[in-house]
Amino acid sequence: MLNDAKGRAIAIQGVLIFALVGFMALLFTTTVANLEARGIPIGFDFLTMPSRLVISESILSYGPRDPYYWAIIVGIANTVLISTIVIICSSIIGLILGITRLSSNPLASGTSKVWIEVARNTPPIVLLIFLYSLWWKILPPIGQAINLAPGVHVSMRGLVMPAVDISLQSIGWGLLGFAGLLIGTHVFRRFFQRIQSFSILALLGSAVLGFWLANVSIKFDWPVFTGFSFRGGIALTPELSTILVGLTIYTSGFVAEIVRGGVLAIRKGQWDAGRSLGLSRTQILRLVVIPQTLRIIVPPLNSQYINVVKNSTLAIAVGYPDFLAVMNTTISKSSHSIEGLFIILGVYLALNLTLSAFANWYNRRIAIMER
Amino acid sequence: MKSLSAELVGRPIALSNSLAALTDKIRQMAKLLFGTPLNAVLSVIFGAGLFATVPPMFRWFVFDAVLFDPDPNACRAAAGACWSFIYAKSGQLLFGIYPYDERWRPALVCVLIIALLGWSVRPTSWTPRLLQVWIAALALVGWLMGGGFGLVSVPTSAWGGLPVTLILTVVAIGVAFPIGVLLALARRSATMPAMRIIAVVFIEGIRGLPLLSILFVASIMLPLFLPDYLLPDKFVRALVALTLFASAYLAEVIRGGLQAVPNGQYEAAEALGLSFWRTQKLVILPQAIRVAIPALANTIIVMIKNTSLVLVVGLFDLISSGKAALADPAWPSPAAETFLFIGAIFFALSFSFARFSDFLERRGRISY
Repeated sequence: MLNDAKGRAIAIQGVLIFALVGFMALLFTTTVANLEARGIPIGFDFLTMPSRLVISESILSYGPRDPYYWAIIVGIANTVLISTIVIICSSIIGLILGITRLSSNPLASGTSKVWIEVARNTPPIVLLIFLYSLWWKILPPIGQAINLAPGVHVSMRGLVMPAVDISLQSIGWGLLGFAGLLIGTHVFRRFFQRIQSFSILALLGSAVLGFWLANVSIKFDWPVFTGFSFRGGIALTPELSTILVGLTIYTSGFVAEIVRGGVLAIRKGQWDAGRSLGLSRTQILRLVVIPQTLRIIVPPLNSQYINVVKNSTLAIAVGYPDFLAVMNTTISKSSHSIEGLFIILGVYLALNLTLSAFANWYNRRIAIMER
Repeated sequence: MKSLSAELVGRPIALSNSLAALTDKIRQMAKLLFGTPLNAVLSVIFGAGLFATVPPMFRWFVFDAVLFDPDPNACRAAAGACWSFIYAKSGQLLFGIYPYDERWRPALVCVLIIALLGWSVRPTSWTPRLLQVWIAALALVGWLMGGGFGLVSVPTSAWGGLPVTLILTVVAIGVAFPIGVLLALARRSATMPAMRIIAVVFIEGIRGLPLLSILFVASIMLPLFLPDYLLPDKFVRALVALTLFASAYLAEVIRGGLQAVPNGQYEAAEALGLSFWRTQKLVILPQAIRVAIPALANTIIVMIKNTSLVLVVGLFDLISSGKAALADPAWPSPAAETFLFIGAIFFALSFSFARFSDFLERRGRISY
């Protein structure tokens, strides 16, 4: 039997499955025995019990009397908040760095090169701890807060900036107007195709119409110094600011390299071909170069964005309560480690799959249409 | 411009020649910096930014800094960096809480590993002997760090600093590489569906989770899952977690390389009558790994940086020993300097590896 390729394959797999099942059984019986010895029941009932966890800051409102499931949701919201802001900021900075890295100007390309190499070759956790130590060292106490821009103050206690309060009087009408105009442009697209950049105008127009119909009022809430602290505006604590700045610096280095690779991959012949068709420089960029660059950079960018979600767990190094930190205290406080493990697995899987699904949808849109 | 300098080369007077070359260079530089409107704008923006940041940083770094003065009060008085702290605490920073009298052992371990790494990058030392040398060296490292056989025994809980970082990096990547190759082959196996499913579940499961959560499971929850007689100590648990994590990522990179090898290569190997393992070893893997070098290097650099995360589960790596050194009340706690020093060590490790991978890539290209 062992001389026959098929028989050998079955034998090898049989042994492997047997070993794996045996190991699983060992894990299972040990865990059950250990839990019984400590008197911990298995089940998700604990989620509705009051948690008494301390969560130092969150964007959703939280109190120690709230149940475990709410504490976990608050943690997820914090993780989503960090990831979203870091992804947006690092994409913008990375794009700028990636392009300036290719510039013929030695000052611009040299500065970008140093930034990119330092960001890519330093562990993010060291970067975060370093920035956190700087925060306490170089920034003044709150009384002497540095005024960076009108309404933006930075001090040892964190960053304060004006809040924008957008209130919609009639959100339904606004959405209706917005949707109507979008559908309208879609229907008449063939008719308007000749007019360049009409779609951008239509988008702006529908946005303005939507705002007008919704009767929007925009109010700025300026932070005011009251003698002890700032009142009003949005306040970012030193912990949150450190994570946002640190992860943005780190990720932007990787985004820059992806952008640079994407631009370099477009051969010079593409420019020549565009020019021989009589296209202008901006037309070549818009119609020939950028679509091909996007096709190259979207898949690696997606895995970079998933890395951002995973790296947001480093928040623990400066004491910001992200999802993993909340789960860690939940598990140590409630002793429900198995259930906690499954929640961790499920949430990160869901977050990453959502990001991947979005990227795949976008990737399909820009992919080559082969016939 | 080129014709100008070519014409100047023939001139007999050396002084005017070099002067012309200098003005040539200045003119070239000016053209680069201010040749087009865009470049001029960029030069002004970046020049202003650099002018605002670099001189104060340089002042803090060098001119206002305390370099070697062993008196902590000199640091309190100075406006700049406190490098004398790093100098005075270098032993603690590099070796953590390792017993003071035995510090020559971790020092020797660091020298040994770094020297061996340096020796291994030369193509002339890539022989089957290299693997044996490394295994022997790691056994020696284990003996030097852990003790026994005539040395004072030191438990892994007292290991710390740079040797921990180096051992974790080298062993995790070294062991993860063969596991990654096996996982990649299993995932591509056409004849063994069970093997393929196990590989897919393992790889995607690990890749879906942050490393920190895996380290937490290994250090905090494993005592619950495993019977006591199978439970390794904390250091080994973190090492296993790092290894499994690295193997999943390396497996995907190697799978990408395997996909780039055309089918004809398999058929040719089969026609020569090679067995499965000989086909892989002699024909497929050398080509697959060569294709995958850039991606492999990126993964390995990420792993070098990832070893710094063991701090969170209470292992005494470089960052933890830095924090411990900073806790000394006699000094003014120069945190920025300490973490710059630690960051520089990591930077040196990953940056030199990146240059090594560039070299490999160029070498691979030539040999085709």
